[in-house]
Amino acid sequence: MDLFLQQLINGLALGSLYALFGLGFGIVFATLGILNAAHGTYASWAAIIALAAVERLNLPFIPALLAGIFGGGLLALVVDQVAFQPLRRRAGGGMISALITSIAAWIILDSLAGTATGHQSLSFPRDSYPDTIFFVGGIPLPAIQIITVLSMLVVTVSLHLLIRRSRFGSAMRAVGWNQTAASLGGVNPRYVVVITAFLAGATSGFAGVLGGISTNNVSFHLGEGLMLKGFAAVVVGGYDDVRGTAVAGVALGVLEVMTAQYLSSGLRDGITYALLLGFLLLRPRGLFGSAGFSRA
Amino acid sequence: MQKWQKQISCQVAVALFTLGMQVGPASAQGLAPGEYKVGFITENTGAIASAGQSFWNGAQLAAEDVKAKKYLGDASIVLDPKESASDAARSIQAMNQFIADRSIIATTCCVLSPVAGALKPIVVGAKIPLVIFGATASGLPQPPWIYSMTILPGPKDIATAVKVADALKPKTAAYILAADNDAFKGRMAATQKTMEGKGVATAGVVSVLTKDTDFTGAATQAMGLKPDVILIYATQQAAAGAITALRDRGYKQTIVGNDVLSPAAMFQKMGPTVVGVPFPVSFSASIADTPEAKAFVSSYETKFKVQPDIYSAQGYQVVWFIAQGLKSISGAPTRESLATALSKITNIDHQVYGGQQIKDGQAETAGTLVVNWSADGKLVPWTPAK
Repeated sequence: MDLFLQQLINGLALGSLYALFGLGFGIVFATLGILNAAHGTYASWAAIIALAAVERLNLPFIPALLAGIFGGGLLALVVDQVAFQPLRRRAGGGMISALITSIAAWIILDSLAGTATGHQSLSFPRDSYPDTIFFVGGIPLPAIQIITVLSMLVVTVSLHLLIRRSRFGSAMRAVGWNQTAASLGGVNPRYVVVITAFLAGATSGFAGVLGGISTNNVSFHLGEGLMLKGFAAVVVGGYDDVRGTAVAGVALGVLEVMTAQYLSSGLRDGITYALLLGFLLLRPRGLFGSAGFSRA
Repeated sequence: MQKWQKQISCQVAVALFTLGMQVGPASAQGLAPGEYKVGFITENTGAIASAGQSFWNGAQLAAEDVKAKKYLGDASIVLDPKESASDAARSIQAMNQFIADRSIIATTCCVLSPVAGALKPIVVGAKIPLVIFGATASGLPQPPWIYSMTILPGPKDIATAVKVADALKPKTAAYILAADNDAFKGRMAATQKTMEGKGVATAGVVSVLTKDTDFTGAATQAMGLKPDVILIYATQQAAAGAITALRDRGYKQTIVGNDVLSPAAMFQKMGPTVVGVPFPVSFSASIADTPEAKAFVSSYETKFKVQPDIYSAQGYQVVWFIAQGLKSISGAPTRESLATALSKITNIDHQVYGGQQIKDGQAETAGTLVVNWSADGKLVPWTPAK
C-alpha cells in the first residue's frame, strides 16, 4: 500500500507539471487559434533563465522562479508578435500557416537553447531550491513535489476565474470565437492577444522551471517532453476549459507512473497516446470542452 | 693521372653512387609529405552533443599533436568535419560524401551503436577505413576496414560489480535498466549473471527509457524492492536522473553506476548526489599518471579550458591510431594501404591509458579502476563507506 501511495504522489506531481504546461498551451489554442509547436521552448528557456538567475545573479528560489516565469512570458510575447502577428494581418492565413511558422520558431529557439546550455543537461544547485523531504506516515514527500501540485492548483483556479469571471476573460473568449465580432463589440483584439500570449508563455515557463528542478534536467530537451504530454492533456481535457486540462494532465501523470509500476515502462507512453487517439476519435471536445468548440 | 689515382677516383665514385642509391630508397620508404584528410562525422549538436563535443575536441588536439611532434615527418593529418547530430540518415549522407571525396583517406564516427551499425555495410562496400570513437556494441569492428577505439565497458562493469559485491557482501541487488538500449541490456545481463553466481539474488529489474526525464516512479519502484544495492545501467542523463531521484527519496545504501558518470560535467550537474557512487573508468584527468596522459591533460586544458574526459581520450586515440597506420606506409598512402597498415597494429604507440592493445579491430585496455567522485569533485579510488 505504501508503494501505491508513493507512486500516486509521484504521479500527481508529474501530472501537475503536464497540467501546468498544458494550461498555457490550451489558452493559446482556444484564444489565439494557434497550435503552437514552439510552446515547449518557452518552458526550456524559462528554466535556462531561472538557472542563470541562480548561478549568475545569485538570486534565491522565488525571485529566480519569477525571472523564469517572466522570461517565458516575454519570449512567448515576442514570438507571437514577430511570427504570428503578420499572419493575422493577412486574411485566410489559417491554422496551417501558423503551425508551419511555429515549427520554424521551435527549431530556431531550440537551437539557441542548445547553444545557451552548451548542449549539456544542466541542473539547479541543490541549495537553490527547497529540497526538504517530509515524511507522512513513512511516505517521503519531497518539497518540490508539494510545490508543483500546489502551483498547478493555484494557476488552474486563477486562470479559470480570469477566463470565466472577469471582463478580460470575456474578451479572451470573444477574441477566441471571432476577432472581428469582438472588435465590433469594443474589444481591442491586439491587447487581448498580447496579454494571452504572455500568460501562456509564463504558465509554460512556470512548468519549465519546476520541471527543471524536479527532474534535474535543464536543457533544450526539457520542453519537448512537456510539449507532447501537455498537448495530450489539452485534447483529453477539452480545449476551452482549463479545469479539463488540469484534470487530464494529472490523470495522465498518474496513469503514466502506475503503468510503469504495475504493467511495463515500455507501455507507458503507448497508453498515453492511445488515450489521446481515443479522445480524438470518440470525444474530440474532450472531457470538459464545450460541444460547440470547433477547433478539434 | 696516375693509375692509383684513377682507381681511388673510381672507388670514391662507386661509393658515392652506392651511398646515393641507399639514401634515395631510404627517403622513399617514409610516408610521402602532405596533408592527409580524415573525414570526421561530428555529433556536436543533438541529444548527446556534450559527449560528441568531447570526442571532437580530443581528435582535434591529436591532429595538432601529430603535426607538432612531427610524428609523420613532413606529413600531417587534417580533420574534415561533417555534423550528424547523432542522426543515422545524416551520418550516412556525410559518409557518402566522404566516400565520394577521394582526398579523404579514412573516416571516423559514431557515438551511437545503431548509427555505427548503419554505416558498417556502407564503408565495407566502399572500402574506406572507419575508426569508431564511441559506439559500444560488440561486433562493430571488421578489419581491415572498421576499427573501434571505444573502450568496451562490459567487462569493466562486471569487475566493478564484483568489487562491490566482495566488499559489501550484499544479499540482493536491484537493477535500473535503460530498456530501449541493447548495449546496456547486454551489459546488465552479463553483470546480473556474475552477481547471481556470487550469491547476490536479483530483487528486480526496473526499466526506464533513454528519453525519460522523470525518474521518481522508477526510483520509488526500485526502493520498493528493498535491495541491498542498486546497479544503474542507463545512458548519461537517465543514470543521473535515476541516481538523483533515489537519493532525493532518501535511499542511503550503495548505488553502483557505470562509465557514463566519469565526465566532470556529471559531477557539476549532480553534485553531492553522485558522491560515493562507484563506477569503472579507463581514463580520468585527475588520475592520469603516464607522461603521455599528463601531456594530453595539460594540452587539453590549455586549449579547451576544461578537463578531458574518457570521450576526449577516445577521440584523441582515434587520430593517433590512424597516424600510426600512416607512419608505417611508404610513399603516398591509399585507402587500401592504410586499411592494411591499420590491420597490422596490435599495440598503440602513443596512448593515454598506460597500455592499449588492438585485438580483432577492437581497442582494449588492461585492468579496471573503480572510482567515485569525492565531495570536492575529484575522482578517487572507491572504498566502501564506513
